[in-house]
Amino acid sequence: MLRTTRTLRNAAAALAVLLLSGTTAFAQDASGKLVIVTSFPKDMTTAFQQAYQKANPKVTVEILNRNTNAGVKYLQETASNNGVDLFWASAPDAFEVLKGAGLLQPYKPKVEGIPAKVGAYPVNDPEGMYAGFAASGYGIMWNSRYMKANDLPVPKEWADLTKPVYFDHVAISAPSRSGTTHLTIETILQGEGWEKGWRTNKEMAGNYRTITERSFGVPDGVNSGAFGVGIVIDFFALSSQASGFPVEFAYPTITTIVPANVGVVKNAPNKAAAEGFVDFLLSPKGQEVLLEPAIRRLPVNPVTYEKAPAGYPNPFKDSSLGSQVNFDVNVSQARYNVVDALFDQLITFQLDDLKAATQAIYKAEAALAKKPNDKAKALLAEARDLVAAMPVTAEQAADPQLAGAFTVERKSAKDTVPERQAQVEQKWAAFAKENYAAARKKADEALALAR
Amino acid sequence: MTSLALTRDRIARVRPGPALAALLIAAFLLLFLVVPVVQVIFVAFQDKTTGAFTLVNFADFFGNDLFMRSFANSFYVSAMSVVVASLLALPLAYLTTRFEFRGSVLIQSLGIIPLIMPPFIGAVAMQLLFGRNGSVNLLLRDHFGFSIPFMEGLNGVIFVQSIHYFPFILINLSASLKNIDRAMEESAQNLGCHGFRLFRRIVFPLAMPGYVAGASLVFIKVFDDLGTPLLLNVNDMLAPQAYLRISSIGISDPMGYVISVVLISCSLLALWVSALAMRGKDYATVQRGGGGLAKRRLKPLEMVAAYGIVLLILVLVLAPHVGLGLLSFATIWSFSPVPDAFTLKHYQTVFTESGQYITNTLLYASLAALLDVVIGTAIAYLVLRTKLPGRQWLDYIAMAALAVPGVVLGIGYLRSFYGVPMPFTGQPLSNFWLILVFALAIRRLPYALRACTAALQQVSSSLEEAAENLGATKLRTVSRIVVPLMSGGILAGFVTSFATAAVELSATIMLVHSQSDAPLAYGLYVYMQSAAGRGPGAALGIFAVIIVGLGTYLSHVVIERGRRERGQDQ
Amino acid sequence: MNHQFSPAALAAQIESVGVDIEGVNLSYGTNHVLKDVNLAIKPGEFFAFLGPSGCGKTTLLRLIAGFNTAQRGEVRIGGRDISTLPPHRRDVGMVFQSYALWPHMTVRRNVAFGLEERRVPRAEIERRVDAALDLVGLKHLADRRPSQLSGGQQQRVALARTVVIEPKILLLDEPLSNLDAKLRVQMRQELLSLQRKLGLTTIFVTHDQEEANTICDRIAVMDDGKVQQVGTPQDLYDHPANLFVAGFLGTANVLDGEVRSDGAAGSVFVGNGITPVALPPQEAGGAGAGTGGKLMFRPQNLAIRADGGPPAPGHARLTGVIRHREFLGASIRYAVDVGGQLVQVDAPHQAGDALLSPDAPIILDLAADKARFLRQ
Repeated sequence: MLRTTRTLRNAAAALAVLLLSGTTAFAQDASGKLVIVTSFPKDMTTAFQQAYQKANPKVTVEILNRNTNAGVKYLQETASNNGVDLFWASAPDAFEVLKGAGLLQPYKPKVEGIPAKVGAYPVNDPEGMYAGFAASGYGIMWNSRYMKANDLPVPKEWADLTKPVYFDHVAISAPSRSGTTHLTIETILQGEGWEKGWRTNKEMAGNYRTITERSFGVPDGVNSGAFGVGIVIDFFALSSQASGFPVEFAYPTITTIVPANVGVVKNAPNKAAAEGFVDFLLSPKGQEVLLEPAIRRLPVNPVTYEKAPAGYPNPFKDSSLGSQVNFDVNVSQARYNVVDALFDQLITFQLDDLKAATQAIYKAEAALAKKPNDKAKALLAEARDLVAAMPVTAEQAADPQLAGAFTVERKSAKDTVPERQAQVEQKWAAFAKENYAAARKKADEALALAR
Repeated sequence: MTSLALTRDRIARVRPGPALAALLIAAFLLLFLVVPVVQVIFVAFQDKTTGAFTLVNFADFFGNDLFMRSFANSFYVSAMSVVVASLLALPLAYLTTRFEFRGSVLIQSLGIIPLIMPPFIGAVAMQLLFGRNGSVNLLLRDHFGFSIPFMEGLNGVIFVQSIHYFPFILINLSASLKNIDRAMEESAQNLGCHGFRLFRRIVFPLAMPGYVAGASLVFIKVFDDLGTPLLLNVNDMLAPQAYLRISSIGISDPMGYVISVVLISCSLLALWVSALAMRGKDYATVQRGGGGLAKRRLKPLEMVAAYGIVLLILVLVLAPHVGLGLLSFATIWSFSPVPDAFTLKHYQTVFTESGQYITNTLLYASLAALLDVVIGTAIAYLVLRTKLPGRQWLDYIAMAALAVPGVVLGIGYLRSFYGVPMPFTGQPLSNFWLILVFALAIRRLPYALRACTAALQQVSSSLEEAAENLGATKLRTVSRIVVPLMSGGILAGFVTSFATAAVELSATIMLVHSQSDAPLAYGLYVYMQSAAGRGPGAALGIFAVIIVGLGTYLSHVVIERGRRERGQDQ
Repeated sequence: MNHQFSPAALAAQIESVGVDIEGVNLSYGTNHVLKDVNLAIKPGEFFAFLGPSGCGKTTLLRLIAGFNTAQRGEVRIGGRDISTLPPHRRDVGMVFQSYALWPHMTVRRNVAFGLEERRVPRAEIERRVDAALDLVGLKHLADRRPSQLSGGQQQRVALARTVVIEPKILLLDEPLSNLDAKLRVQMRQELLSLQRKLGLTTIFVTHDQEEANTICDRIAVMDDGKVQQVGTPQDLYDHPANLFVAGFLGTANVLDGEVRSDGAAGSVFVGNGITPVALPPQEAGGAGAGTGGKLMFRPQNLAIRADGGPPAPGHARLTGVIRHREFLGASIRYAVDVGGQLVQVDAPHQAGDALLSPDAPIILDLAADKARFLRQ
């Protein structure tokens, strides 16, 4: 009898706690449950979770790990009955989508002293929907065992990766799948101009061994030695190194330092805790967590660098880091989906043809080096131009009509779409296929002449 | 008048019990399969600008080179996977069922393990072993100066998929082979047939139903699977194309859903074709007076060859798990045949961090599998033993789940249930962990259903009639006679559902809403997002394999004990 | 179903060969299934292995077909030892109990199978298959699947499939057990006429003595892995070598007793409720006085003596009490308690005859020359 009563009482108490925890979510001070959807790896989220909970013991942090795309999708699908407080991820474009869909609410962090720009990229969203809390730059990562076994020189610049020696040794993730890769491609386009930028991108792509679907697929492959060189975001390389993998990393001159962001979700159940977490991230204490070996991201709070180990990259001091290109967010935004689709249709899905053309060009070049021939040289230049040719100009790419093929949702019957996405893509793919085949033919002709 | 009488006659024959069961199952399928899927794929038939019904998206699909190439690739990879999987499964099934072969139970059990390939980590292990710079190729290159492109492009997908899914053929084919009356084989020998001709002309055709069942499963799974091609970075196949489209941010393109529709249609077509091919050929059952299978003794030389073949196949198909084991104990494994050094710390990490994942997985997978065999048995019974109008549709709809990509189901669930608040707590219904169980159950239902149907087909209906004749009600007859006699098939269904549900990711990832409710596959995913998580991820993967292995073994023990108690021991 | 086999359709009369089984021993682990089996089956003979289930008859048949291997002994067909040959090279046709028709092939393909394995030219295959199907009267069903045939038709297909290859000998494993009673009677006659016309040495396994008796030239009665006796049906019935054979073929009355010396007349059998029965020397088999044994006789060897007069010459007298009776139509079978042992006696029945009542005393005479003395 006694036991039954006690069990009952315990159950009642548990129920009360449950109910209370439900209601306190609406209280003003930071307590209760804080739900964060994030794409960051466990190493990083756990470190922040622990540091934050130490400072705010009343808050229970619940981390939901999803890749950026799935996270955005999740927020979109669940918006009608939102249960998430914060969205915490790298890619600014994901935040742009959420912002466009009205799924974020503005918050101005209380922390002072954060610069307006890191490298050439603005730290915060101008409308205050999301804030940058850490910076990362894209660069080149390589496996030193692989490089030694294959006798490869260490690459320093993007241009190095266009050299024949790296043929079939390089990997990248698709810009349509990784917001940060997109920014790297966009940076090259803005830095070198549309035509030349694409030429560089395609020449690099001729050496790609693979184009991964997940951002982490690239560092993962370099770590295990599946391929030698990867185009990755710095912290992937730095944390791999910290875990003991035989890998190294370098920033090329043309790179963008991009902020990783956090944004408060609209109708957040625990807004107070969410805002508290944002402030914590930007505070010196939160920023210091970024220096941990398994995380290795660049703080946006300049004072934190005083505590960084020697040789830690500092974009606020080192002017070569990410400031070569004056990144224009508006240009980037206008052609965002067009660039992704172009990359996919011209490179990702035509990689075999592109590589075949590239290899033919390399062969002809090698033959030509031994036995010069003017006609062959001209043919080869034509072949290279064919590879580099683009189906759309920079102006066309920025045309909202074209962009509309990708984004316009049927909101009202008046919204018109000139072409369907599938039609546009089919056109580009056919263009690429034809050009790569023609380039290969010309290169083969050149090779025949040089023999 | 006649038609009216007919209808009345039909109604009179419908008993309320089965009708109620059929209605409940229909409601379940409708709510948790049809509605969510339709919610997602209706976009495929919508004009982007007007919202009106249109087929223009399908015209785009068929007019697009990339999609057509993907279509061809998917078809090629699926067909080749069936071929390679058959090459792996045939010798194992044949040698272990038709010959006196020491360890055949062990071989059969080991042969099922590849089905439990934890997501992500399995492909990583395969890359480390068979990749261009994996152990095998590094050794080959060092010692012989050449390498074998196991994992390159479509070949890689075929290789991994065959190893992953060949147990479907092994299980079904073994069951069929065991059921062949030995007189069938002996009469052929008696007439002068032997060796491979005997296998080709008599044994294999008689085992055809099992083989076709297994092969069509392999075909469909490979056709729909997106995890393996994505991890091997093969994008020009249909499932990855659909996934890439559906999960791209900020793109509102219907093609992803169009591809989903194509995927579902192709899978249904494959099921239909295999059903058509097997119509009236359900003959792999023991005949009167026959002795079941005859196990022949092998000559010493044959024995050596047979063990050699079996060992080779086992080494190949268990390689991912060996790689996984190595990885879970490895400190660093990079561009070398074996890891640099070994450690136990990954297991320590998993023990301290991931207990919740393991208990959740056990709970979810066993509930889902239970649900599957209950519904599977019920549908099998309704279809085979009742005259309910439209009962075949339950079977068709349940089988269609086989063809629904996990992502589509996951998104469908979110769309359908997120807006529905739970009673009392007010939480969205889709956050309730049981929804995850339902998603897992729906995705595995086809396996359980086929196993239950096959089991019921082998139970003579006169056994039921005898029970009813002795005064048992229909329900009692089913629970006391039919279900116990079906226990073998039900077990097979339970094990397949459990094993595959325990490592399912694609629907899970969309539906997990809190870490405390997350299953093991989600934990794996989280670990595999960072360089430092690779070891613990592998350790967790090993746990997954052990859990599934133990679960399988335990359910075998339980069912076998039940059989022995009922004196059904064979 | 009233088809008669017409062997003229088959190509040639097959040259008959004999089967010799010598010293065959076969065990499955510790289970000794065949014990020192010796048999000589003559060319063209219709031979039966008869015995209860588990006696080893099917094992012996499968041994001849090559599906079992004996630990010791050999099997010769036409004088040639085939013990080491694999089944497919033995040229021994076997019809299985389940018929084992392959469900994935039509009747025609089933029958053609053996010829195809023998690489017989296409045209000849067709001709011989037609002939074989004609032989069993199923030519019109050649394109059906086995599942579309009745049991009797399946049986004929199985037979056609086996004889079409013109095997040296034909093995039939309980071929009639899956047929109904009427069809069974008809089929056994057809089997016999087929065998006679083809002249094919045939071994027939059955547990049904009537089947064996009606169609076989000779029978080997088997029990417990041993051949108990070999002989013609009549031989076995009239002169069973032991109690098993006696009991297995027909009804046997058995009385316990022993042999005593009867001076000049030789040996006599003495038992409870029966006057001494004189045993001819060949019956006593040299059994000396005091040898225990059983006296075996058939119900029809007894005559009811209502008059109670002295026994006729050469007859022994039994006295007992009727325990129960069975009305069989042509006769009435009484079970009589003779000295504590039950004896069956058949009394012919005519219309109007009165039946004897149970518990009535009864006197029976036994024709002594029909009785057999069997040692323990």
